[in-house]
Amino acid sequence: MSATLTITTDEWRYWLRSKLALAVVALFVVILVGVSALTNLRIEAEAHEREHHQEVSEETFLDQPDRHPHRMVHYGHYVFRAPMPLAIFDPGLDAITGQTLFLEGHRQNSATFSASASSADLGGLSWLTPALMYQLFAPLLVILLGHGAIVREREAGTLPALLAQGLTGRRLVAGKLLALALFVTLLLVPVLISGVIALSAGERVLAAASLLGVYLVYLLIWVALTLLVSTLAENRATAIAVLAAAWLALTLVLPAAAVNTTTQTAPLAGKIETELTMLTEIRDLGDGHDVDDSVYNDVQASLLAEYGAASIEELDINIRGVLAQKAEADLTETLNVYADRRMAAEMRQSDRVSAHGWLTPTLAVAVASRTLAGTDLFHYHRFLRQAEALRINFVQGLNRAHAEALSYTDDINRNRDEASWERARIDASNWQVLDSFQYESASASDRVAGAQWSIAMLAAWIAVLTLLLAWAGGRLKP
Amino acid sequence: MTTTVKLEADALQVYRSDKEVLSGISFSLSSSEVYALLGGNGAGKSTTLLSFLGFLPAAGGRVLVNGKDVSADHKAARAAIAYLPEAASLYEHLNAFENLRYFLQLAGRSEDSPALEAALDRVSLAPASRARRLKDYSKGMRQKVAIALAILRDTDILLLDEPTSGLDPSAIDEFHDLIRDLADTGKTILMVTHDVYGACQVADRIGLLRGGKLVGEFSAPTDGRIETETVHRAFSGRTVDTQLAV
Repeated sequence: MSATLTITTDEWRYWLRSKLALAVVALFVVILVGVSALTNLRIEAEAHEREHHQEVSEETFLDQPDRHPHRMVHYGHYVFRAPMPLAIFDPGLDAITGQTLFLEGHRQNSATFSASASSADLGGLSWLTPALMYQLFAPLLVILLGHGAIVREREAGTLPALLAQGLTGRRLVAGKLLALALFVTLLLVPVLISGVIALSAGERVLAAASLLGVYLVYLLIWVALTLLVSTLAENRATAIAVLAAAWLALTLVLPAAAVNTTTQTAPLAGKIETELTMLTEIRDLGDGHDVDDSVYNDVQASLLAEYGAASIEELDINIRGVLAQKAEADLTETLNVYADRRMAAEMRQSDRVSAHGWLTPTLAVAVASRTLAGTDLFHYHRFLRQAEALRINFVQGLNRAHAEALSYTDDINRNRDEASWERARIDASNWQVLDSFQYESASASDRVAGAQWSIAMLAAWIAVLTLLLAWAGGRLKP
Repeated sequence: MTTTVKLEADALQVYRSDKEVLSGISFSLSSSEVYALLGGNGAGKSTTLLSFLGFLPAAGGRVLVNGKDVSADHKAARAAIAYLPEAASLYEHLNAFENLRYFLQLAGRSEDSPALEAALDRVSLAPASRARRLKDYSKGMRQKVAIALAILRDTDILLLDEPTSGLDPSAIDEFHDLIRDLADTGKTILMVTHDVYGACQVADRIGLLRGGKLVGEFSAPTDGRIETETVHRAFSGRTVDTQLAV
C-alpha cells in the first residue's frame, strides 16, 4: 500500500474510533436524511397537487356553459408551475416566488411584479432543504472532522516521527486530503439518491450529474481550506477558531452582504411607482370596450373599407370583438415592455449577486445549484413568460370568437331582455381555444450553460486552494 | 571490526527563527558507537538530531550521513536513520501492533506478526498489553513500542531524543542494555539527553553541548564506562574548561 493510502486508511480508522466524530457524523446524517425525506415528500405532494389543480382548472374553464365570450375573457384561468424534478433537492426560489398565476384579459397579474427583494434573495433560507444542508452545514462537518488532521500530528509530536520515515509533507497532506475527499464523496450519497429520483421523474442525466459535481467540488473546497488551515496552524485551537471565522464569513456574512450591497447599489423600481407609470401609458391606448373611442377610428374606417360597409352594423364581423383583439394586443405589448424591463432588472440584480461567488464559494454553489435544478430566477421568469403566452393566446382566441361567432347587433342589444341575453351567448365549444398548460424548463444543456460562471468560480476556488495546499505541504516541518 | 564514519557534523551552524541555535559544532560517530549529546534545555540537542534528518538546513558547515551531505539528499539520510522523537510520539488510537505496522508501512517496509512480536519481546513489552490502544499505556510502555519500531526499521543509525525520559529505573536499565546490544550488532547510536548518569552508563563518548557549542567531549576508557562525577561537574559548569577533549 502506498504511503498516501496508508495515511488515508489511518485517518478513517482514527475517525471510526472517535466517539465524538461518529456522533457528529451520525447527527448530521440523521438530520440530512430527515430533511431529504421531508423535502421529497413535500415537493412530490406539491407536484401532485398542482397537477391536479391544473387539470381541474382546465376542466372548469372548458366545462363552462354557453356564455358571452367577453365574460369568459374575464372568467379567466389558473396556471400552476409543477416543481422541477430536482426541486426535491433544491427548491431554490420556488418557495418565495409563488407558483400560481391567474390569467385574465387586460391584465398580467401580480406574479410578474412580485416583491423586489425576492430576486436578490439567496432563496429558501426560511426553511431547511437538502441543498441548504450541504451549502451551510456540510462545511461545518468537514471542519469538525478535518481541522486537526495535520495540526494534531504537530501537537501530539507524531509529525517528526512521520516525516522521519521518509514521508514528505505533501504526501502526508495528500493522504489526509484523500481521506476527507472520500468522506465528502460518501456524504453526497443522498444527492445521488435525489438525482436518481429526479431521473425517474424525467430529469436529464446531465443536469443531475452536474448538480452532484458542483456539490462535490464545493465540499472539496472546504476540505482543501480545512487542511490548509490545519497545515499552517500551530495548534488545534487556532485552527478551529480560524475555520469557524471562515465558515461564518463565507456561508453567512458574505452572501448576506452581497444581497444587501446589490439591493442598495442596484435597487429595483418599486411596484407602485412602476404601475403608476404603466397605467398612464395604458390610458393613452384607448378603451377596447368602447367602439366610439376615437383611438380606434382608423381601425373602424379600415374595417368599413375592407367589408364595403357603410356602418359598423353592416359589417360581417362584430367590430367589438375586433377592437377587443386590437386593444388586447396593444395592451399586452405595453405590459410586456414593463414586464421585460422588470425581469431584465431583476436578472441584472441577480447576476450582480451571483458575481460575489468569486468571494465566497457558498454563493457560487447556491447559484449553480438553483440554476441546474431549474429553480432559479431565470426559470421563474420562464414560467411567467410561458403563462403570458398562454394568456394572450386564449384571450385573443375568445376575442376572435367574439368577432366571428356573435353578431354586433346581438352583442349591443344583449341587455334588453332575457331572450337578447340568450342570443348574446356563443357555443361552449369556443372555449376550446384554451391550450393545456405544462411548464417547460430550459434543457439540461442550457441549464449547465447558465451555471457556467458559477462553475468557473468553484473551479477557481479549488484550483487556488489546491496550489496553496501544495505549497503549505511542501513547507511542512517538524 | 572495521569502523566507518556514519554520522558527522562539520562546523555545523543552524538558525531557528533567526536565532543561532548551533554555533559551528563538530563531531562524528563511527559504526557500533554510542554517542550521547548532553546538555540542558535549549542547548541545541534536538536541533542537532533534526539537522541529521535534513529538517533544518545548515547555515554553515555541513552534516553527513554515511559520508553523504544531507542537504544534497535528505531522503537517503532519512532512509538510513531510525529516529525516536522525544516523548515516544505514537498514536493513542492504535495498539502496539497497529502503531508498528503504520510507521513501517510509511517507511516502505512490511513486517509479519512474528517479527513484530519478536521486536516487542526484545523491548520486554508485556504480551497482554500489546493489543491494547496506547491511550492506556504508561510513558515507559510507549517508549518500548517506539524502541521496537526503531529496531524493526533495521537501519544502521539510530537517533534517540531523550529516550529514557519518564522511564522508571528498571526500565532505564533494560533500555541501556538494549542500546548496548544494538551497538554490538553494528548500529550507530546518537542519543541526546540531559540524564548525566544514563549517558555515562551507555555511551562510548559524550559530547557536552551548551548554548549551541560543543564545550566538552568525554570518551569511555577501553575497559570501563565514563566517570559520572567528571561529567556531572562539567555539566554543572564547574570544570568545563579543564575537561575538554579527554
